[in-house]
Amino acid sequence: MSSRAIRVRSGPCPRALVAALAWVWTLPVFAARFHAAPGLAAPDFALRALAGPNVRLSEHIGQVVVISFWGVGCDACRGQLESLQQDFSRYGSQGLRVYGVEVADEQAQALHFARGTHVTFPLLLDPAKTVARLYDVDDLPMTVLIDRDGKIRQVVRDFTESSRHVWEDELRTLLAE
Amino acid sequence: MPEAPYRFLLIAGLAALAAPSAFARSPTPTATAPAATASVASASAQGAGGGSVDEQVQSLKSDVLDLNRDLFVLEQELLYPANTQVAVFVSMDAGTFFALDSVQLKIDGKEVADYLYTPREVHALAQGGVQRLYVGNLKVGKHELVAFLTGKGPHHLDYTRGATLDFQKSIGAKYLELTITDDQKKLQPQFRIQDWE
Repeated sequence: MSSRAIRVRSGPCPRALVAALAWVWTLPVFAARFHAAPGLAAPDFALRALAGPNVRLSEHIGQVVVISFWGVGCDACRGQLESLQQDFSRYGSQGLRVYGVEVADEQAQALHFARGTHVTFPLLLDPAKTVARLYDVDDLPMTVLIDRDGKIRQVVRDFTESSRHVWEDELRTLLAE
Repeated sequence: MPEAPYRFLLIAGLAALAAPSAFARSPTPTATAPAATASVASASAQGAGGGSVDEQVQSLKSDVLDLNRDLFVLEQELLYPANTQVAVFVSMDAGTFFALDSVQLKIDGKEVADYLYTPREVHALAQGGVQRLYVGNLKVGKHELVAFLTGKGPHHLDYTRGATLDFQKSIGAKYLELTITDDQKKLQPQFRIQDWE
């Protein structure tokens, strides 16, 4: 009995193994496969714009980039795009780039929706949801804030007035870096 | 391309293999440790004029960069051995009649690349840049490469064209070049795939 007890104690502890595996699973190399989380490098992409030239994210290293995922059927998206338009007008000269990524709607519908919002920043089309999958978009609107080094700094899934204040503070901090 | 975890494991394995050679280039760790400690201790005494710690850091950075480069070369050689390697390059000459938007590549009916170009990339190609669009592995034998190009043609109209090449893959790396040129007589763009000598 006692020797068995000793053997159990001297072997690898299952809890420690599970904890170690869980820790390994959270390493960026594993996490990056599933999530675009703060601290990780923003996945690169190239998309066609609703109007204007194609856009590749990696060409904007050195600038603060905001990516807002939106859709035609999303009521809150209109308010968010208009809010981002204010940020773009205010901070565009300081190196802020804003891109709205339209997820999986017809181009004509997206164009009609975009005209109603009066945004001046580029609106990109993601008809195959490739970029939405890369960024783990599970709800619309969803906004990603990327710093000058190309790393994700913040992901906002609920766009409310209170979250907007936190968001603007973070944006100002990034622009000042 | 392998998935991220496998890629990570591959690089870790290569790092382990490369480690002895990296150490072989420098004195043994046990021998350098006291010297390094001594130099760190003396660095503060030397002040700004000494710079020995900075030099060591620079040397270490240089070693890391060299090791990284070697690992990249090893990784490429493992992933795409010379015997099976096929690479497709894109180049552009003039491009007056065609504004490139995207290129889709199919080898033996299977899509292997779909690339969307930004104005900056098109400009780089127009300036003489050559892009490696695809690198992969193919068995020895006959194969078919099809390239679909989209963009704006003459008079800024949407333009889609294809180019096809039947090629023989033998032992050794195969390099193919997709060129976009202007046909001045027809005032049309011309697309051609050829062996890159």
